[in-house]
Amino acid sequence: MPDKDVAPPPATPAAAPAVLERGAPPTPGGLWGALIRYQAIVVPVVGLVVAFVVGALLIRQQGVNPTYAYKTLFQSALFTRDGLNQTLQRTTPLIFTGLAVAVPLRVGLFNIGAQGQFIFGALAAAVVGYKLHSAPGIVIILVALLCGLLAGAMWASIAGFLKTSRGVHEVISTIMLNSIAVNIIDYLINNPFKEKGQAIPRTPQIAPQAFLNDMGIVPIGFPIAVILAVGTAWMLRRTTLGFQFETVGRNKAAAGYAGIKINKMILLAMALAGAFAGLAGGIETLGDIHRYESGFNANLGFDGITIALLARSNPVATIPAAFLVGALRAGASALQFDTGIQPEVVDMLLAITLLFVSLPLVAKLIFRRYAAKGSALTSGWGS
Amino acid sequence: MKAMRYLALTPIAALALAGCGGSTGNSNTSGSSSAASGDCSKPDVFCVGLVTDTGKIDDKSFNQSAWEGVEAGGKATGAQVKDIETVSTNDYATNIKQFTDKKYDVIVTVGFLMADATVKAAAQYPDTKFIGVDQFIDTSKVKSPNLTGLSFNEDQAGYAAGYLAGLMTKTNKIGDVLGQEIPPVQKYDKGYKAGALAANPKVKVTSVYHPAGDNAFQDPVWGAGEAKKQLAQGVDIVFGAGGSTGNGAIQETAKASGAGKTVFCIGVDVDQWDSVPAAQPCLITSAEKHLSQGVTDLIKQAKDGSIKGGNFIGTAGVSPYHAFDSSVPADVKTKVADVVAKLANGSLKTGVTL
Amino acid sequence: MAWFSRNRSVTLTAVAIIVAAYVFYAINQRVAVSMIDFAWSFAVPLVLAACVGVMGERSGVINIGIEGQMLVGAFSGFFTAAATQSLWAGVIAGVLSGMLMGAFLAWTTVKWQMDQIIAGVVINIIATGLTSFYYKSGQSLTHVMPNIDIPLLSKIPLIGPVFFEGGPIALTTLVIVAILHFALFRTRWGLRTRAVGEYPSAADTAGINVIAMRLLNVTIAGGLAGLAGAYLSMEATPTFERGMTAGRGFLALAIMIFGAWRPLRAFAAALFFGFTSALASQLQASNIVSLPQQFINLLPYVLTLVVLAAAAGRVRPPAAAGQPFVKGEGS
Repeated sequence: MPDKDVAPPPATPAAAPAVLERGAPPTPGGLWGALIRYQAIVVPVVGLVVAFVVGALLIRQQGVNPTYAYKTLFQSALFTRDGLNQTLQRTTPLIFTGLAVAVPLRVGLFNIGAQGQFIFGALAAAVVGYKLHSAPGIVIILVALLCGLLAGAMWASIAGFLKTSRGVHEVISTIMLNSIAVNIIDYLINNPFKEKGQAIPRTPQIAPQAFLNDMGIVPIGFPIAVILAVGTAWMLRRTTLGFQFETVGRNKAAAGYAGIKINKMILLAMALAGAFAGLAGGIETLGDIHRYESGFNANLGFDGITIALLARSNPVATIPAAFLVGALRAGASALQFDTGIQPEVVDMLLAITLLFVSLPLVAKLIFRRYAAKGSALTSGWGS
Repeated sequence: MKAMRYLALTPIAALALAGCGGSTGNSNTSGSSSAASGDCSKPDVFCVGLVTDTGKIDDKSFNQSAWEGVEAGGKATGAQVKDIETVSTNDYATNIKQFTDKKYDVIVTVGFLMADATVKAAAQYPDTKFIGVDQFIDTSKVKSPNLTGLSFNEDQAGYAAGYLAGLMTKTNKIGDVLGQEIPPVQKYDKGYKAGALAANPKVKVTSVYHPAGDNAFQDPVWGAGEAKKQLAQGVDIVFGAGGSTGNGAIQETAKASGAGKTVFCIGVDVDQWDSVPAAQPCLITSAEKHLSQGVTDLIKQAKDGSIKGGNFIGTAGVSPYHAFDSSVPADVKTKVADVVAKLANGSLKTGVTL
Repeated sequence: MAWFSRNRSVTLTAVAIIVAAYVFYAINQRVAVSMIDFAWSFAVPLVLAACVGVMGERSGVINIGIEGQMLVGAFSGFFTAAATQSLWAGVIAGVLSGMLMGAFLAWTTVKWQMDQIIAGVVINIIATGLTSFYYKSGQSLTHVMPNIDIPLLSKIPLIGPVFFEGGPIALTTLVIVAILHFALFRTRWGLRTRAVGEYPSAADTAGINVIAMRLLNVTIAGGLAGLAGAYLSMEATPTFERGMTAGRGFLALAIMIFGAWRPLRAFAAALFFGFTSALASQLQASNIVSLPQQFINLLPYVLTLVVLAAAAGRVRPPAAAGQPFVKGEGS
């Protein structure tokens, strides 16, 4: 199980205290008690197992031995040097885009625009990366990442601003902004930033000294992503800003009475989300693609939605969630090659996992009356 | 509560069923790829692998054409062939690696987006031959002798089709419905315009690219709507160039009143008479690039060792008129054939630059 | 009169748009009809899909899986029609499969209180996977949808040839929007639906079966999504392609919000979006303005944002949308 490879995510704030609510039965001790206390971890793991068993049926139905398929999938994704490197490479941006969706969710905003923010970040980093070609590597890297971050944050802030000043719903504005971003960037890489002498619309390659290389098998972006995920969790739990975010997310009216500036929180949350997505774009550009070319990374932003939901918008839990998705994607290639099974099976597996991890029924079946009360993770469309 | 019990039973049943599965580790390799039995590292086993661009092997478009070329080439050379479908651009390198790990002799990569990944792999595995479909190699920078880029003069096919359209139009208005603004599509478009104007200086060409970027090649509904709009504004020949989007346009034209008599459509990439039968009522010809043929030729060359690194330009042209053979006037046919011949021998230039 | 004063701005806007459309018609009949026809063909699936969203959210269930429901509808509709060579069998299969997807959403979220957004995302991923997995190339339809001409109505200038002449699903869509709007605001079912979506615990106290209401509405709405899919693969084009919904399900969510959770306004919003798309492609083709095509192409998206920002209507979603209802817990 991929979950074992990383620090266990702490209980979601919604889940852990719920057991101790008034009227809840006294918690038994021993192993059973421990399982109940840590059900925020136990439930996803059980859900994952159930999902893989159901997935086995699907694989079997395609005429492939499921045991062999899973062995191939995980062996190639986790137990070879290249495979693990690929898995981490894919995990990295997914943690960021997961955070880009998870953080606004905590404030009651649904950011469908991580994709647009991501590609703006990626383009900004690519442009810095080739324009500053004579600067030292570290300078280019820092400036490129900063510009990527700012580009993403600015793009997301348009949605935040439209919401706070004109009341435009963020779901509409982020959907529209995604399409607008694709078109603007398509123009930019066909015109001012186009590689000379190339028919293909793409930017020149970034300066080689600015490539973000791997440290052994770990891409440099990975620890950054982990640190940011943990930092975000800390921010949400331990700082005033985090408290304000959560309060706005839970109950706008109450937040208003408590004197929290709701609009400021919305703007901040969107900017922060865009910064995460933009940074992801920057790291992808410097670490993997080394230029901007349209058609690349067409889905990482949308994957962020899946990750955030899989993690129940808990920032630290985005790490194992992204790792799971990264491993599935990295192993899919060998799976297809060795068994001939169509590659979509991996996405189906992911969907089934998301289903079983999120079904409150699973917790109820295991823990009966001790099951933590599920709360709606996404409290509607907000307003 | 009952439902819950069933839910609990599902995994158990599934486990039981799964457990009953074959005991052999390696199960059949199903799907379109033929069973990979021989060991490709042996010198007497000739293996050809194909990595698709994002999309499926049966996409009725370039992936499928390339795969048909590999199959034909495999048959001709007795090669063992296999494909791998790419889901996302992030998979290019990993998918190529599957073949290099198994020591395939020839690896065909499809689409210009894979150019970087192919160049990198070719440098890393000098003993493997790489064929990059739709990839134009900048020979001043890339020197790998084991990498051959297969590209086409789409502008010539577009020019010939446009020439035909220019001669056939009664309203002096022709249209094209396009996918994304990328080199192959632009070349078709510009060639089409140039050819139409050469045949008929009074002609007006309405050309529209799909607006949304990422799914520009998978939106037949938009293509159909755009074709309908153009037809309503007096266009009488529609050229659909853009995967499923273009197919939507020619299928819509086939439904229009007067289709096949006063209104015609032109297909793209392959002879769409066979691949899009719904367009037959209006499909006068297709602007073709002979992708399958090019891939097959290169595989044969790879087998007999005559393949050269650098660029290989495949042929392009227009398809037969099929059912419209009798309705296209004889002098039009002669003129178009003349243009095709002149384009092929280089005496006529399309004037298209990107 | 009271009605007019309540809806003044909406009515005035509607009148202005209709007048503008006819002025355009008077100037260039051919271009006007073709562009508005494009707008309506573009809008049909969006309108149906927006109605799916409206029915769900009005009864308290967010449906982000419309894209997947449409895709499944398009898929099963087309392949059933190809196998049986009957378009009607195809349409029925499309609607039923949509309802099945609707029932999945309803059951998981209403019965089992699963998070609604998650359930929707699951639907989208599974739909994309399944329809790609079981796709078979080389299938085709031998018939096309008949073109129906409504007597008298189709003779009205401009509106007639655009709305009252066309395929059966497009015509049905007009009826569905009108009925849904009427039902939502003028019938007992509508009152109950809205009560369930705004204040479920009060509705429950008043004796309305909240769970049953939500299950029913979300399932029926799934059928509409299936119909939208059938439109894509059988009426607008005679073909199914992988991923052919091309984001229309998400666009429909935006249209639904743009339309303030009202079927008629969503209809207008979808037409607006369709018209700006027609305008974009018209401008692209005609070279009237020498802008790069990318800037012309973002016109529909930018105009939508501008209109929304200018209207500055803080429209409010149904209060209980997104909240699972557990009897006796209040919400």
